[in-house]
Amino acid sequence: MQLRQITVPLSLAILVAVGCAKPPSEQIDAAEKALKEAQQSGAATYSAEEYAKLEGSLTALRKEVTEQDGKLALFRDYGKVEQLAASAKTEGERVRTDAVKKKDEAKAAALQAQQVAQEAVNSTLALVGKAPVGKDRAALEAIKMDVETLKTSLGQIQTSIDKEDYPAAQSQSKAIHEKSQAVSAEIQGALAKVGKRKSSGAKR
Amino acid sequence: MVTTLTIRTWLAGGISILLLTGCVPAVPPDLIAAIEAIDQDLVALRAPEAAPEDYTRFAKQWVSLKSRVQTDDDLIRWPWESNDLEHELRQLHGEGWNTVSRLNRLQTTQRQQAESALSRLEARFLSINSHVESIEGRMALGGKPVHTDLLLKQARLFFDQKDYARAIHTAEQAGHALAAQTAVLTQELGRYADHQQVTSWQAIAKQTVDWSRAHQSTAIVVSKAERELTLYKHGRKVLSYPVRLGFNGIKAKRYQGDGATPEGRYRVTDLRGAGQTQFYRALVLDYPNAEDRWRFRVAQKLGTIASTSRIGGQIEIHGRENELMAQTLGCIMLDNADMASLFAQVSTGTPVAIVGALTRENAVALALAQLGDHHTDM
Repeated sequence: MQLRQITVPLSLAILVAVGCAKPPSEQIDAAEKALKEAQQSGAATYSAEEYAKLEGSLTALRKEVTEQDGKLALFRDYGKVEQLAASAKTEGERVRTDAVKKKDEAKAAALQAQQVAQEAVNSTLALVGKAPVGKDRAALEAIKMDVETLKTSLGQIQTSIDKEDYPAAQSQSKAIHEKSQAVSAEIQGALAKVGKRKSSGAKR
Repeated sequence: MVTTLTIRTWLAGGISILLLTGCVPAVPPDLIAAIEAIDQDLVALRAPEAAPEDYTRFAKQWVSLKSRVQTDDDLIRWPWESNDLEHELRQLHGEGWNTVSRLNRLQTTQRQQAESALSRLEARFLSINSHVESIEGRMALGGKPVHTDLLLKQARLFFDQKDYARAIHTAEQAGHALAAQTAVLTQELGRYADHQQVTSWQAIAKQTVDWSRAHQSTAIVVSKAERELTLYKHGRKVLSYPVRLGFNGIKAKRYQGDGATPEGRYRVTDLRGAGQTQFYRALVLDYPNAEDRWRFRVAQKLGTIASTSRIGGQIEIHGRENELMAQTLGCIMLDNADMASLFAQVSTGTPVAIVGALTRENAVALALAQLGDHHTDM
């Protein structure tokens, strides 16, 4: 009688304790949030490999939750879910930080390349400023047109930066820089040809 | 006694065999290492960008299975037990290997495609530039060659970075820019290939030569396409000289500062000898004449020339100012020795016909035809 008195409440207590096992919603939500934040930080672009694996972790987590939910209440165990959620959250934060860092680095590199291109074009424009006037300017007219086009092309770099397409911004900057240097060399050659004399201005 | 010993021996041996075979790990370590290697290959092949769906599927499954591998690490299974985890890992390995093979093939194809497109476009760009330089048509193209050049350089940069997809895309843009460049050239200089226009130029030249014959006098005919000035005396060709034109000389003059050399019937209005011109001798022409003024007014009314533009003037046939001078602002320039010869044979009133071309197979028409052929080749 005494044994029954102890066993029944004890069993009920165990059943209540085990049977009430619920998924760790807060931890799961935190892991999902970490994934979303990583995605919003541009991880799919800047840490594509890490991001894909993070998505894998979340898939494993969701699978485990579904698996446990499908079991009889008595046999549910969300211990592994908790473990996976904690790990995904930590990983998500790491991927986000990594992506932000890589994105900032790409942006900084693009801005630096833009500055180099800008300086090269400015230097070419300064050379054009030294070009002669009057009859001798004929030799430089076509080159001046090229410099004007280069100046206009600088706007495309900014457009790519605004679109956060930093690889495009970098390649545009490098191309403009390279072309600008070639045009500068051409101007110097032309200047050497026409000399430093000043001719009289003429209509035509 | 013997029987008991034998049974014990058999039991011990059986248990030992069972223990030995049962102690194999849940998943062979070399399989894990092989999948890790596949993962590294996929990353090296830029799978997250080149095949995002395939890579995401692979990564998701890999992470999920890896987590199971860690969980099942301490499990001992019997050799005859089925091993779902190992089966799934082998399947993942197979799928990953297939993706690696496919990406390798794709990358090779893209690299070849990009290299072929880029080389073809770069060669064509150089060829067009060479033709444009030969007919001095650079100004007619405006900023288009620089735009094309920048795109080609960008495509080459992407190619060097092994970003073949982007290299192909940028090369395609360069291809369109090159096509637009050729179209502009054809539009701007197409009149050199227009038979009716050439016939009209031939008529102008013939009238000038006929005048020389009728008046037993000298006359000058300048062909812009051939960069040639011909002196006629009594209707007969006497001498021909190579000339240089304005920096935009291949086009017909429309307004002051456009660098174009005018086309039409003119006369020498003044002869300027040493000390009277900044050049070595000069023959001043009566540009703008009545026809030029009429054309200019019409263009201004139509809005094709800005209302603030001026018609220009001081178009001359002159010698060089210095030996290195290569182009003019719209005048016709001769070497000084040729200028001295010409100067000695003309007088005020000498008619000068400046035309685009004198033959249908002129240099500009031929260059345009070659560009057309290249375009068809593309």
